[in-house]
Amino acid sequence: MAVKKTRDPQDIGYLWPTVFAIAVHLLIVLFSLVEWPGSDAEPDSSSIVQATLVSTEAFTNRAQQANDQSAAMQAAEEDEATVEEPDTSAAEEAAAEEQAAAEQAAREAAAAEEQALEAARAEAEAQAQRLQEAAEAEAERQREAEEQRRQEEAEAEAQRQREAEEQRRQEEAEAEAQRQREAEEQRRQEEAEAEAQRQREAEEQRRQEEAEAEAQRQREAEEQRRQEEAEAEAQRQREAEEQRRQEEAEAEARRQREAEEQRRQEEAEAAMQRQLEGQAQAAAEAQQAAQAANSFLTIVKRAVEQAWIIPSDASDSMSATLQVRLGPSGEVLTTSVVSSSGDGNFDRSAMQAIEHAAPFGELRQLPAEQQRNLRQFNLRFTPGDVR
Amino acid sequence: MNDNAMSIPHLIMSASTVVQLVMLLLTVGSILSWVVIFQRSIALRRAQKEYAQFEETFWSGVDLNELYRDIPADDPRHGAEHIFQAGFREFNRLMPKTRNTTTVLEGVQRSMRVAWSREEDRLTQHLVFLATVASASPYIGLFGTVWGIMGSFQSLSMTQQATLATVAPWIAEALIATAMGLFAAIPAVIFYNRLSNNASRLLGKYEDFAEEFHAILHRNLQGRDSASS
Repeated sequence: MAVKKTRDPQDIGYLWPTVFAIAVHLLIVLFSLVEWPGSDAEPDSSSIVQATLVSTEAFTNRAQQANDQSAAMQAAEEDEATVEEPDTSAAEEAAAEEQAAAEQAAREAAAAEEQALEAARAEAEAQAQRLQEAAEAEAERQREAEEQRRQEEAEAEAQRQREAEEQRRQEEAEAEAQRQREAEEQRRQEEAEAEAQRQREAEEQRRQEEAEAEAQRQREAEEQRRQEEAEAEAQRQREAEEQRRQEEAEAEARRQREAEEQRRQEEAEAAMQRQLEGQAQAAAEAQQAAQAANSFLTIVKRAVEQAWIIPSDASDSMSATLQVRLGPSGEVLTTSVVSSSGDGNFDRSAMQAIEHAAPFGELRQLPAEQQRNLRQFNLRFTPGDVR
Repeated sequence: MNDNAMSIPHLIMSASTVVQLVMLLLTVGSILSWVVIFQRSIALRRAQKEYAQFEETFWSGVDLNELYRDIPADDPRHGAEHIFQAGFREFNRLMPKTRNTTTVLEGVQRSMRVAWSREEDRLTQHLVFLATVASASPYIGLFGTVWGIMGSFQSLSMTQQATLATVAPWIAEALIATAMGLFAAIPAVIFYNRLSNNASRLLGKYEDFAEEFHAILHRNLQGRDSASS
């Protein structure tokens, strides 16, 4: 079979074809991996369509203007509404500070107490150990003494028996002596025991007293610390109060200064102010309005983006700004070109996009003052580098 | 982030199981078809070269008996050599047995036809697989795509807002299956046509050679008949 295979010129086997085929596929996979980052620019650029409309600039400018004017008006009327705000915020800040300080003090006190308790506990443990050791030593001593006594007794007995026959006379005297010795020994033992007992008691008492004294000292220290802290707290509060008062005074002075300035301004700009009076009231809530307006404008932007059919000949650098006026229910009243892109077709497509996207019913969900603000806004159309 | 999510490997890895199976099937089919393409191309080129060589020696005026003796009997040859060997062996075997010319020539023709048919089988083997891959893989790829798009629409029904950005990855992912099917099918079609054409041309040459050889034998027998009678 092998011979036949080698002789067979047409049967070339499958090893090399397989290698070639896999090499071809690997090559193709490699190409697909390498080529992609380069060709990725296209999908990337097409996603720019979403970011084509910019309209907040005109609105925010107006809002700021209105805000300034409203502030002027408020100062003129000596309205306290805006001034109260920093006051309350300062008070709140001080309160928060106080609370934080109190909390910290409490935490410190608790920590100190805990530490003291721990020390006392450790000391008591050490004492108990020492006591135990002493008791053990005492027991050892007693045991030894007893043993000795027993030995002595046995000896004495033997002596007595031995000598009983020979010297009965001496017996009594010796017995007496023996008894005396025993008594003496016992007395000595008792005395030693009593002594040990006394010593132990004394030691214990001393230790107790020490522990008590320690506790007392700690308690005193703690109390003192607490007092100091309380004093410091009071001091801080007093300072905070003083500062607050100072700030208030400053704010008052500033307010008066500003009011004066604005009153002067007001006279100069009386005509303009009258014109923008309606907007000024809405701008009292400029912060809130800006947020709502932004969300509304985002909705509008998205709707217009989706409706916008970008002309095929639009270039990347083209940009048109359109002014839109809305009716009270969100319908488009007029659209006018503020700055043209130079290409009528492009401008028309932008205008058509707005008309397609209308009406913007979301306008009716906003508060009335904001509605007035949002009735007129600018939209900027830039296709980016789509094509 | 965007280019990462839309890159081909990422799309393949995030496809559903059925689509991935289809892709695997197509990849295997593509690899096997390329194996067949390479194997057949090399084999056919060698057969052509061999045929040219043999034709040259055959028409160079060499003695046919010598040529036959050069071919080892136990070694199966291919192509025109095989046909020549089969025909000449039959001729040599029949010659001593019968004096009838038509019987000899019929036997030679039959054995050469058998050899030719074996050659045909040898040359066109596996080409059917190529044809199968060429015709079936687009459908398999299309199935993967349809399945993927079905899945994409099902998941689309769950989302709140249907924008192009939410559908695009799904469709791109599903379309990869069709791309792979076409990728497997196109080379298979091209090479099937090319290889089967090559094989049929070679077989035609073999047939011509068999006829020519038959004519030579016929001429020889006629000469012998006239010489003997």
